[in-house]
Parts: sequence; C-alpha cells; structure tokens
Amino acid sequence: MTETTQRSRTAESAIAVVTEFFDRYRAHDVDGMADLCSMNAGFSYVPVELWGKQRVLRGDGKVCSIGKPLWTGLIAAFPDLSNTVHAVTGNDDGDVVAQVDIEGTQQLAWGLVAPAGKHYREPHLFIFHVDEDLLIDSITAYWNDASISQQLGHTEVD
Amino acid sequence: MTQTDTAMQTVPTFLAAISRHDIDAAIAVADPQVSVTVHPLGVREVGADALRQILADLVRGFPDLMISVSRVITTGDVVTALFKAEGTQAASYVGAINQEKHLDIDQAWRFVVAGGLITELTAYWCQAQLYRRLAVKRYDEIDRLRPGGPT
Repeated sequence: MTETTQRSRTAESAIAVVTEFFDRYRAHDVDGMADLCSMNAGFSYVPVELWGKQRVLRGDGKVCSIGKPLWTGLIAAFPDLSNTVHAVTGNDDGDVVAQVDIEGTQQLAWGLVAPAGKHYREPHLFIFHVDEDLLIDSITAYWNDASISQQLGHTEVD
Repeated sequence: MTQTDTAMQTVPTFLAAISRHDIDAAIAVADPQVSVTVHPLGVREVGADALRQILADLVRGFPDLMISVSRVITTGDVVTALFKAEGTQAASYVGAINQEKHLDIDQAWRFVVAGGLITELTAYWCQAQLYRRLAVKRYDEIDRLRPGGPT
C-alpha cells in the first residue's frame, strides 16, 4: 500500500512560503527563490516596460524565463540588494499580499540607468498565489520606478 | 456578518464611487482619520480631506476617468484591489502639463477596513509609466512645475 501525505494549505502556511521567499531573496539565493515556485509559475512586474520604436518590452511572463533573469540581473547591478518585509497577509485560498521595501546600491548599469554608486530604497507591493502543494504559482509586483530612477540620479523619463 | 464580509463590501463601494466620479460617496466609506499613503505622489497623511484632495485632483485631471477592476483580494481585514485607471488628460496633474494625452495605468491599492470603514489606504503605481503616457520627458520638468518646486 502506498502512503501519501497531503500538505494542507492555510493562510499561515501560504504566508510562511512567501516569508521564506523573501528570506532567500535577501540571501541572493535566486535558485532557492525559484525552487519555491511551481514549474510554470506566472510572473508580472507591472512597472517594467521598455519602450522601443516599434514595440514595448514588459516584465510579464514566467518565473523561469523572466523572473529568474530579472532577479539575477538586479542582484548583479545592486550587489547589496536587500529587502525589508513590513506586512504579509494571506487567506486560505493561497492569496498572499506583502508590503516590502527593496533597496540596494548601484554598481552596474540597470536598464538605461548608468551606475553612479547611488542607493535606492522603494516600497513595493507583491501579490502572490500559493498553490495546494505550497508552491508559488503567481507573482505580481507594483512599485514606482520613477522614484528609483530619481534616487539613482537618472532624470530622463525613458 | 463577519469582518471579512464587511471588508469585501466596503472597498467595492469605494471603487464604484470613484468610477462614478462621486467623491463624496467614496469618502463616506473612509474613516475620518484614515491613513493615506500614495507612494507615487509622496503622500503620507492622515484624514479624509487628504484622500478627498487626491481623488479630486485625479478627476479634475482626467474628467473621463474610468476604473476597471481586475481583482479584489481579501486577506483578513486587508483588501487589495488591482485595477486599471484610464482617462484623457484635461488639466495639469501632479506637475504634468495638459497635452490631452490618454492615460492607462495599472495600479494596486491596499486597504485596511475596520467597522465597515477604510482606516488605511496605500496606493502603488508607477509614476514613470504615467509620465511616459503624458509625454513628460524629464523628471526635473515635473519638479519645476510642481507647486512650491524650484524655479
């Protein structure tokens, strides 16, 4: 007979997954962050948009294809990147909302922002969904990119 | 009725009032001492008057303002609304002169609800997206045009 174990998703367990996600982010453990996500987890960093002449690139897609490269690039550009989690709330359906400050000191170019050694700290709102296997299957984030640009000394609206 | 049920009703009432441009009806579901934080505008104030001012500026700047709510997420006494705000600029708005540009901005507003009233509101959107759509080229243009900004 095969014994199966059923992990029950509650608000508390979903919040614990998200808390661990930010712990790993603070430790720059990008693979560990992705390990907390399902294979096909959705990803949307709403403020990320790069306007070209004929198209707009957006921060929408999957954790594996958009999220991981973006986190890796951010940590490379801001080697002291860190986060402070202010509030995390969840429900038994697996929705988790987190108010988090992200901060770091720029050492490499980030987008069109040239490195000037400046520091930024910006409030973010993250909306996660944690599935019944206690894996994150959706990440959406909102913040004010204009504030980050200005804190880094970039004055053009790109 | 549970606290969660009340929270689920209050925020849609607030958003529906904004959609109708009925600022009085929106303010009616806010606590008089509501804490108002609008990160993109650098606003951290307490009181319904602060909220009224933010909504009034928005409706004045975009008289055809339309709110399309995509999700309302209730996590205890916290309600998070994800929506798109759209409109055509008809007056200066947060330092951006009117060039009659169309705006569409995805936003997330996090509410704390107690006793059927909004006691905290924290708004998130990207001001860079807003400025792009309003054809603002430089952040220091905005600073110069803001009331009390450098001349």
